[in-house]
Amino acid sequence: MKKWLLKPIYLLIIVVMAMGLVLSGCSSTAQVSDSAAEQEEPAEAAAAQVEDEAPAAAEAQDTGAAFGADPNEEYYMVTFLSGIEYWKGCYKGFEAAGKLYGVKTIYGGAAEYDVNQAVTVFEQIIANKPAGIAVSCINPDAYIEPIKKAMDAGIPVVTFDADSPNSGRYAFLATGNVAAGETAAKYLADALGGEGDVAVVTLPGQLNHEERCAGFVDYIEANYPNMKVVQTANGGGEQTTAATAASGILQANPSVKGLFCTDATSGVGAVAAISETNRTDVKIVSFDTDKGTLDAIKAGTIEASIAQGTWNMGFWAFQQLFQLKHDLINPTEGWEEKGINPLPPYIDTGVNVVTKDNVDAFYVSE
Amino acid sequence: MSNTNGQAIRAFFNKMKSFREATILLTIIIFSVIISFLAPNFLTVDNLKTTAIGMSADGIIAIGMTVALVSGGFDLSVGSILGVSSVIAGVAYLAGVDIWIGCLISVAICLLFGLFDGLLIGKVGINPFIITLGMMQMARGVAYVVTTGSPQSLASVPEAFSFLGQKDVLGLPFIVLIFIVLAVAGDILMRKSSPFRKVFYIGSNQKAAKLSGINVSKTKIGVYMLTAFLASISGLLTLSRFGVATPTAGQGTEMRVISAAVIGGASLSGGQGTILGAVLGTVLLNLINNALVLLKVSVYWQQLISGLILILAVTIDHISHLNKKSLKTKKSIFTSSNAVINNK
Repeated sequence: MKKWLLKPIYLLIIVVMAMGLVLSGCSSTAQVSDSAAEQEEPAEAAAAQVEDEAPAAAEAQDTGAAFGADPNEEYYMVTFLSGIEYWKGCYKGFEAAGKLYGVKTIYGGAAEYDVNQAVTVFEQIIANKPAGIAVSCINPDAYIEPIKKAMDAGIPVVTFDADSPNSGRYAFLATGNVAAGETAAKYLADALGGEGDVAVVTLPGQLNHEERCAGFVDYIEANYPNMKVVQTANGGGEQTTAATAASGILQANPSVKGLFCTDATSGVGAVAAISETNRTDVKIVSFDTDKGTLDAIKAGTIEASIAQGTWNMGFWAFQQLFQLKHDLINPTEGWEEKGINPLPPYIDTGVNVVTKDNVDAFYVSE
Repeated sequence: MSNTNGQAIRAFFNKMKSFREATILLTIIIFSVIISFLAPNFLTVDNLKTTAIGMSADGIIAIGMTVALVSGGFDLSVGSILGVSSVIAGVAYLAGVDIWIGCLISVAICLLFGLFDGLLIGKVGINPFIITLGMMQMARGVAYVVTTGSPQSLASVPEAFSFLGQKDVLGLPFIVLIFIVLAVAGDILMRKSSPFRKVFYIGSNQKAAKLSGINVSKTKIGVYMLTAFLASISGLLTLSRFGVATPTAGQGTEMRVISAAVIGGASLSGGQGTILGAVLGTVLLNLINNALVLLKVSVYWQQLISGLILILAVTIDHISHLNKKSLKTKKSIFTSSNAVINNK
């Protein structure tokens, strides 16, 4: 190739790569709000609410106006690792609630699992002076000051999924993870007839997973004298690692009859592990409701999964923000000056057990 | 390059290699013996089979990584390319494309990623660390964009495809068989074929390699296309094994694979390394992980212990290598100076 030709070619490559990087960085965030904005049907479980909402959304302008809502009001949902599946359900609930009142909802957050970037995005959103923010906190302490700053600026803030308890936020909406672990324990124990050894594949060091694991272990110990949790392994959040961990458990404990996986990726790994070790009698209870897990429940390779109330988190977080913004809550005169919290400070958004019988209700159309 | 020159260098490296691998092999054997006493389930067919399946994806990538390390570079993007490869094939299939054509598309795209890396590292001369780090994010980003973050389930994929990652051939899981075939082919090529020998020259002394008429940039482009290709194959096998295209697949693979290759004797400064060594390194790492689970070591202790064993293994290897090397110094200087003379 001619030398004079090479330079522009390299330049082009660099520009293309740079664009690629930029796109890959922001698309994951943009994508979510786009797809959410496409008026997809949410989980059928929530279909009832959404159908009701359709006419409501049509007259939303009026409804909103009744509460004094300006259609240009902007409510933000802010997350971290913003490209992942999990937040989609949360934002759908948030968006659905926003439509009821005819105001704007926006989804945002840092694409990486990084405290600095997550807080930076949050502060940039505060600078936009939105009507309210629902935020999931990557780290409880890192959000104390930023949330205080937003509240001081008159922006109501609630946290969901991951809390910052000392920040002064109005409320926290999340899955009670201990209760979720207990639900899984009860289901798995009953499926095994209250007998036999079980084990857990989890993500050690992450509070929500630790709680699910603890809830599971304690419930089995307290209620099923003929059962024992023989081992806990690290699924690593990646399917190959999880499969290796799960097969290790099955090798080390030929007596294991059931596995509880505290995340969906570990569930996928466990399915491969039981088929590769020919231990298809082992029952798996997994977590969350991505399509892979649901298909596996349908195929019978996963016995059940624990579905979190992600839609509820978004929906009720929005309700609270709206009520606060428009001064619709007034439990006692002058609550703001007297430092009284007008909201229930903690809301457990609940879990449901997904089994072969009800699995169809959890599919989200693409 | 004259033939005698090739032989001299080959003989030189062969000696280094045969020694290197003997130490790791010994480490693996001693480790296995100890563990088999502590954990009765360790030396069972089932356990070894599942461990072999688990290491295959990493092992296939380690082959390419060794070549990259030998060339004096490395490739941080392999884990992301594994992910993007499985995701592209999966999404294409769900969009109605034949799964095999989806695989071809996926391999082609991954080769393009490798070509990008190779052009910028080989032709433009940018540091492989930053280029492959960028590609690591880019490829992972593509995986997220393509899936919008959701794992894609391939429940109804043709049996011929799920065969790759899920079925046995001649008593061996097919995925392990592919790993073995690729590793043997890679090892022979690294020892015998002239294009791969060029990689050693470039890694040992890039300037000398250039002066002796080796097309350095072309070879480097080849190296990064190879790492991307193998990562892509590994991604497709992972897709077949799990039947789910997860955008997070392969996260953390790059570090495991680089450490496996280095345990196996590859040098981070280039010019040294064998596929056999990298395979043994992969085996050792996976056996350690397997043992930690079998021995029911608490999850909180596992990382500490596996890190400790890793450092121990490499230190023992390094020290014994030093001793042997001092004995051989005279001879190696002789052979390598011979090579330089022959090159002129």
